[in-house]
Amino acid sequence: MKLGRIEKRKPRSRRSESVILFAVAQYKFAIAAHAVDEIRNLEGLQPLGQAFSRAGKVRHVFQRDHRTYFVVDANLHLRILSSHATRLLLLRDASIALTADSIDRMAQITTLHPLPHAFQGEERDWYRGLALIGEDVVPVVNPAALLSKAEIVKLHDSLPKLEAAAQAAGSR
Amino acid sequence: MPEATSNPVPGQKAWVLFPLGKKRFALPADTVTELARPDRLQAFPHTTTLLTGVLVRRGRIVPVCDVAQVLVGPNAPARKFYLIANRKFDAASEWTAIPVSGECELASAQPAPRTEGLPRYVTGLLPLNGEIIEIVDLEKLAAGEAA
Repeated sequence: MKLGRIEKRKPRSRRSESVILFAVAQYKFAIAAHAVDEIRNLEGLQPLGQAFSRAGKVRHVFQRDHRTYFVVDANLHLRILSSHATRLLLLRDASIALTADSIDRMAQITTLHPLPHAFQGEERDWYRGLALIGEDVVPVVNPAALLSKAEIVKLHDSLPKLEAAAQAAGSR
Repeated sequence: MPEATSNPVPGQKAWVLFPLGKKRFALPADTVTELARPDRLQAFPHTTTLLTGVLVRRGRIVPVCDVAQVLVGPNAPARKFYLIANRKFDAASEWTAIPVSGECELASAQPAPRTEGLPRYVTGLLPLNGEIIEIVDLEKLAAGEAA
Protein backbone atom coordinates (compact mmCIF):
# COMPACT_ATOMS: atom_id res chain seq x y z
CA MET A 1 0.00 0.00 0.00
CA LYS A 2 1.32 3.37 -0.97
CA LEU A 3 1.31 5.91 1.83
CA GLY A 4 2.53 8.94 0.02
CA ARG A 5 4.62 10.33 -2.74
CA ILE A 6 7.22 12.91 -1.93
CA GLU A 7 6.98 15.80 -4.34
CA LYS A 8 10.17 17.37 -5.45
CA ARG A 9 10.15 20.86 -4.08
CA LYS A 10 12.63 23.63 -4.37
CA PRO A 11 14.11 24.59 -1.01
CA ARG A 12 12.74 27.77 0.47
CA SER A 13 16.19 29.23 0.72
CA ARG A 14 19.58 28.21 -0.53
CA ARG A 15 20.57 27.13 2.94
CA SER A 16 17.42 25.25 3.93
CA GLU A 17 16.93 21.55 3.17
CA SER A 18 13.86 19.42 3.70
CA VAL A 19 14.50 16.09 5.34
CA ILE A 20 12.39 13.13 6.37
CA LEU A 21 12.91 11.95 9.93
CA PHE A 22 12.59 8.24 10.49
CA ALA A 23 13.49 5.71 13.16
CA VAL A 24 15.34 2.41 13.12
CA ALA A 25 15.35 0.70 16.50
CA GLN A 26 16.02 3.39 19.14
CA TYR A 27 17.81 5.69 16.74
CA LYS A 28 16.49 8.62 14.76
CA PHE A 29 17.81 9.43 11.30
CA ALA A 30 17.17 11.94 8.55
CA ILE A 31 17.28 11.58 4.79
CA ALA A 32 16.97 14.33 2.20
CA ALA A 33 13.34 14.57 1.13
CA HIS A 34 14.36 15.06 -2.50
CA ALA A 35 16.10 11.66 -2.40
CA VAL A 36 12.86 9.84 -1.54
CA ASP A 37 10.21 9.13 -4.16
CA GLU A 38 7.67 7.31 -2.05
CA ILE A 39 7.02 5.91 1.41
CA ARG A 40 5.12 2.66 1.61
CA ASN A 41 4.31 -0.12 4.00
CA LEU A 42 5.93 -3.51 3.45
CA GLU A 43 3.17 -5.00 1.35
CA GLY A 44 4.58 -6.59 -1.78
CA LEU A 45 8.08 -7.33 -0.48
CA GLN A 46 9.49 -10.54 -1.94
CA PRO A 47 12.03 -12.36 0.24
CA LEU A 48 15.16 -13.74 -1.32
CA GLY A 49 16.32 -17.26 -0.72
CA GLN A 50 19.18 -18.18 1.58
CA ALA A 51 21.40 -18.60 -1.45
CA PHE A 52 21.44 -14.83 -1.67
CA SER A 53 22.52 -14.19 1.91
CA ARG A 54 25.80 -13.25 0.23
CA ALA A 55 23.99 -10.12 -0.82
CA GLY A 56 24.28 -9.17 2.84
CA LYS A 57 22.01 -6.27 3.58
CA VAL A 58 19.64 -6.94 0.67
CA ARG A 59 17.20 -9.62 1.76
CA HIS A 60 14.13 -8.55 -0.24
CA VAL A 61 13.14 -7.03 -3.55
CA PHE A 62 10.14 -4.87 -4.33
CA GLN A 63 8.50 -4.52 -7.73
CA ARG A 64 6.62 -1.43 -8.83
CA ASP A 65 5.69 -0.27 -12.30
CA HIS A 66 7.91 -2.95 -13.89
CA ARG A 67 10.81 -1.70 -11.85
CA THR A 68 12.72 -3.71 -9.28
CA TYR A 69 13.93 -2.10 -6.06
CA PHE A 70 16.61 -3.78 -3.97
CA VAL A 71 15.51 -3.41 -0.39
CA VAL A 72 18.36 -2.49 1.95
CA ASP A 73 17.76 -3.68 5.48
CA ALA A 74 18.62 -0.59 7.54
CA ASN A 75 19.52 -2.65 10.60
CA LEU A 76 22.07 -4.65 8.63
CA HIS A 77 23.41 -1.58 6.85
CA LEU A 78 23.94 0.35 10.09
CA ARG A 79 24.93 -2.67 12.20
CA ILE A 80 21.96 -2.22 14.55
CA LEU A 81 20.31 -5.12 16.35
CA SER A 82 17.20 -6.18 14.50
CA SER A 83 14.01 -4.27 15.11
CA HIS A 84 10.55 -4.21 13.58
CA ALA A 85 10.52 -2.51 10.20
CA THR A 86 7.12 -1.34 9.01
CA ARG A 87 7.95 1.18 6.31
CA LEU A 88 9.84 1.30 3.05
CA LEU A 89 11.46 4.42 1.60
CA LEU A 90 11.73 4.10 -2.17
CA LEU A 91 14.56 6.24 -3.40
CA ARG A 92 14.22 8.54 -6.34
CA ASP A 93 16.42 7.83 -9.39
CA ALA A 94 17.76 4.60 -7.88
CA SER A 95 16.82 0.93 -7.72
CA ILE A 96 17.01 1.06 -3.95
CA ALA A 97 14.57 1.03 -1.10
CA LEU A 98 15.40 1.39 2.60
CA THR A 99 13.51 -0.13 5.50
CA ALA A 100 12.45 1.94 8.50
CA ASP A 101 10.63 1.15 11.72
CA SER A 102 8.59 4.33 11.61
CA ILE A 103 8.39 7.66 9.88
CA ASP A 104 8.36 10.66 12.19
CA ARG A 105 7.84 13.83 10.19
CA MET A 106 9.44 16.19 7.77
CA ALA A 107 11.75 18.90 9.00
CA GLN A 108 13.84 21.73 7.66
CA ILE A 109 17.55 21.86 8.36
CA THR A 110 19.65 24.91 7.70
CA THR A 111 23.04 23.53 8.67
CA LEU A 112 24.58 20.16 7.94
CA HIS A 113 27.41 19.68 10.43
CA PRO A 114 30.26 17.55 9.11
CA LEU A 115 30.81 14.30 10.95
CA PRO A 116 33.63 14.98 13.46
CA HIS A 117 37.04 13.70 12.36
CA ALA A 118 37.12 11.45 15.42
CA PHE A 119 34.65 9.21 13.64
CA GLN A 120 36.88 7.17 11.36
CA GLY A 121 34.88 4.06 10.52
CA GLU A 122 32.22 3.12 7.99
CA GLU A 123 29.97 5.85 9.37
CA ARG A 124 31.96 8.35 7.29
CA ASP A 125 30.23 6.80 4.26
CA TRP A 126 26.89 6.10 5.92
CA TYR A 127 26.17 9.73 6.76
CA ARG A 128 26.30 13.00 4.83
CA GLY A 129 26.68 14.76 8.16
CA LEU A 130 24.81 15.56 11.36
CA ALA A 131 21.81 17.81 11.79
CA LEU A 132 20.69 19.60 14.95
CA ILE A 133 16.92 19.30 15.13
CA GLY A 134 15.75 20.95 18.29
CA GLU A 135 18.15 19.56 20.85
CA ASP A 136 18.65 16.28 19.03
CA VAL A 137 21.69 15.35 16.97
CA VAL A 138 20.37 13.42 13.97
CA PRO A 139 22.63 11.68 11.45
CA VAL A 140 21.64 12.42 7.85
CA VAL A 141 21.79 9.23 5.81
CA ASN A 142 23.82 9.22 2.61
CA PRO A 143 21.65 7.47 -0.01
CA ALA A 144 24.67 6.86 -2.23
CA ALA A 145 26.24 4.66 0.44
CA LEU A 146 23.33 2.23 0.70
CA LEU A 147 24.50 0.19 -2.26
CA SER A 148 27.51 0.83 -4.45
CA LYS A 149 27.18 0.90 -8.22
CA ALA A 150 29.04 -2.40 -8.40
CA GLU A 151 26.64 -3.98 -5.92
CA ILE A 152 23.63 -2.74 -7.87
CA VAL A 153 25.04 -4.10 -11.14
CA LYS A 154 25.74 -7.43 -9.50
CA LEU A 155 22.22 -7.59 -8.09
CA HIS A 156 20.69 -6.67 -11.43
CA ASP A 157 22.75 -9.38 -13.14
CA SER A 158 21.43 -11.86 -10.61
CA LEU A 159 17.83 -10.77 -11.13
CA PRO A 160 16.60 -13.84 -13.03
CA LYS A 161 18.08 -16.05 -10.30
CA LEU A 162 16.69 -13.73 -7.62
CA GLU A 163 13.20 -13.92 -9.09
CA ALA A 164 13.40 -17.71 -9.28
CA ALA A 165 14.62 -17.88 -5.69
CA ALA A 166 11.89 -15.47 -4.58
CA GLN A 167 9.27 -17.57 -6.28
CA ALA A 168 10.70 -20.69 -4.67
CA ALA A 169 10.75 -18.99 -1.26
CA GLY A 170 7.17 -17.81 -1.74
CA SER A 171 5.90 -21.22 -2.70
CA ARG A 172 7.20 -22.88 0.49
CA MET B 1 63.30 13.72 40.19
CA PRO B 2 61.72 17.19 40.38
CA GLU B 3 58.17 17.17 41.81
CA ALA B 4 55.21 18.68 40.02
CA THR B 5 53.82 21.88 41.49
CA SER B 6 50.76 23.95 40.85
CA ASN B 7 52.84 27.13 40.47
CA PRO B 8 54.35 27.54 37.02
CA VAL B 9 58.13 27.51 37.00
CA PRO B 10 60.13 28.64 33.96
CA GLY B 11 61.16 25.63 31.90
CA GLN B 12 58.33 23.51 33.19
CA LYS B 13 55.22 22.61 31.27
CA ALA B 14 51.63 22.87 32.46
CA TRP B 15 49.48 19.74 32.72
CA VAL B 16 45.86 18.98 33.45
CA LEU B 17 45.50 16.05 35.79
CA PHE B 18 42.23 14.12 35.48
CA PRO B 19 40.98 11.27 37.66
CA LEU B 20 39.53 7.95 36.66
CA GLY B 21 38.67 6.42 40.00
CA LYS B 22 41.70 6.33 42.25
CA LYS B 23 44.19 6.76 39.43
CA ARG B 24 45.07 10.07 37.78
CA PHE B 25 46.40 10.80 34.33
CA ALA B 26 47.76 13.91 32.63
CA LEU B 27 47.22 15.79 29.41
CA PRO B 28 49.21 18.81 28.22
CA ALA B 29 47.32 21.86 29.48
CA ASP B 30 47.50 23.59 26.11
CA THR B 31 45.31 20.83 24.63
CA VAL B 32 42.55 21.21 27.22
CA THR B 33 39.72 23.68 26.66
CA GLU B 34 37.44 23.21 29.66
CA LEU B 35 35.92 20.87 32.21
CA ALA B 36 32.21 20.51 31.56
CA ARG B 37 29.37 19.37 33.80
CA PRO B 38 27.44 16.23 32.86
CA ASP B 39 25.57 16.72 29.65
CA ARG B 40 23.22 14.72 27.48
CA LEU B 41 25.13 12.05 25.62
CA GLN B 42 23.56 11.34 22.23
CA ALA B 43 24.41 8.09 20.51
CA PHE B 44 24.01 6.93 16.93
CA PRO B 45 25.36 3.91 15.04
CA HIS B 46 29.02 3.99 14.12
CA THR B 47 32.02 1.66 13.99
CA THR B 48 34.76 3.74 15.65
CA THR B 49 36.11 2.21 18.85
CA LEU B 50 36.15 4.25 22.07
CA LEU B 51 33.55 6.74 20.83
CA THR B 52 30.30 6.49 22.75
CA GLY B 53 28.35 9.34 21.19
CA VAL B 54 28.35 13.11 20.97
CA LEU B 55 27.53 16.16 23.09
CA VAL B 56 26.32 19.53 21.95
CA ARG B 57 28.56 22.13 23.49
CA ARG B 58 28.31 25.83 22.63
CA GLY B 59 26.68 25.02 19.33
CA ARG B 60 29.34 22.48 18.40
CA ILE B 61 28.87 18.74 18.07
CA VAL B 62 31.60 17.18 20.21
CA PRO B 63 32.47 13.46 20.00
CA VAL B 64 32.79 11.64 23.32
CA CYS B 65 35.82 9.39 23.64
CA ASP B 66 35.61 7.08 26.63
CA VAL B 67 39.28 6.38 27.37
CA ALA B 68 38.53 4.97 30.83
CA GLN B 69 37.91 1.51 29.47
CA VAL B 70 41.49 1.47 28.12
CA LEU B 71 43.23 3.34 30.93
CA VAL B 72 41.65 1.62 33.92
CA GLY B 73 39.72 -1.27 32.43
CA PRO B 74 36.12 -2.51 32.60
CA ASN B 75 35.66 -1.57 36.27
CA ALA B 76 36.10 2.13 35.56
CA PRO B 77 34.04 4.27 37.94
CA ALA B 78 31.11 6.42 36.91
CA ARG B 79 32.18 9.42 34.92
CA LYS B 80 30.94 12.71 36.35
CA PHE B 81 32.39 15.40 34.12
CA TYR B 82 33.60 15.83 30.58
CA LEU B 83 37.09 17.11 29.94
CA ILE B 84 37.03 18.93 26.60
CA ALA B 85 40.35 18.55 24.83
CA ASN B 86 41.63 19.49 21.39
CA ARG B 87 42.62 16.67 19.09
CA LYS B 88 44.50 17.15 15.84
CA PHE B 89 43.55 15.39 12.63
CA ASP B 90 46.10 16.24 9.92
CA ALA B 91 45.60 19.98 9.38
CA ALA B 92 42.34 20.16 11.33
CA SER B 93 41.71 20.15 15.05
CA GLU B 94 38.46 19.57 16.89
CA TRP B 95 37.13 19.19 20.40
CA THR B 96 36.79 15.77 21.98
CA ALA B 97 35.01 15.14 25.27
CA ILE B 98 36.68 12.73 27.67
CA PRO B 99 34.50 11.45 30.51
CA VAL B 100 36.35 11.72 33.85
CA SER B 101 35.30 10.71 37.34
CA GLY B 102 36.03 13.90 39.25
CA GLU B 103 37.47 17.40 39.34
CA CYS B 104 40.69 18.08 37.49
CA GLU B 105 43.83 19.81 38.68
CA LEU B 106 46.35 22.03 36.95
CA ALA B 107 50.00 21.22 37.66
CA SER B 108 53.33 22.37 36.38
CA ALA B 109 56.28 20.01 36.02
CA GLN B 110 59.02 18.69 33.83
CA PRO B 111 58.04 15.22 32.72
CA ALA B 112 60.20 12.19 33.33
CA PRO B 113 60.79 9.78 30.45
CA ARG B 114 58.45 6.84 30.13
CA THR B 115 59.72 3.54 31.45
CA GLU B 116 59.87 0.25 29.63
CA GLY B 117 56.76 -1.85 29.67
CA LEU B 118 54.28 1.02 29.61
CA PRO B 119 51.71 1.21 26.79
CA ARG B 120 52.71 3.30 23.77
CA TYR B 121 50.08 5.93 24.56
CA VAL B 122 51.93 6.79 27.81
CA THR B 123 54.49 9.32 26.63
CA GLY B 124 55.97 10.33 29.98
CA LEU B 125 55.53 10.41 33.74
CA LEU B 126 54.86 13.17 36.26
CA PRO B 127 55.89 12.72 39.88
CA LEU B 128 53.48 14.46 42.28
CA ASN B 129 53.55 14.11 46.04
CA GLY B 130 54.73 10.53 45.82
CA GLU B 131 52.26 9.71 43.08
CA ILE B 132 53.43 8.85 39.55
CA ILE B 133 51.01 10.18 36.96
CA GLU B 134 51.05 8.86 33.42
CA ILE B 135 50.97 11.39 30.60
CA VAL B 136 48.57 10.19 27.94
CA ASP B 137 48.73 10.83 24.21
CA LEU B 138 45.14 10.72 22.97
CA GLU B 139 46.11 10.10 19.34
CA LYS B 140 48.24 7.09 20.18
CA LEU B 141 45.57 5.77 22.50
CA ALA B 142 42.85 6.07 19.85
CA ALA B 143 45.12 4.69 17.11
CA GLY B 144 46.04 1.73 19.26
CA GLU B 145 42.42 0.83 19.82
CA ALA B 146 41.54 1.30 16.16
CA ALA B 147 44.28 -1.13 15.08
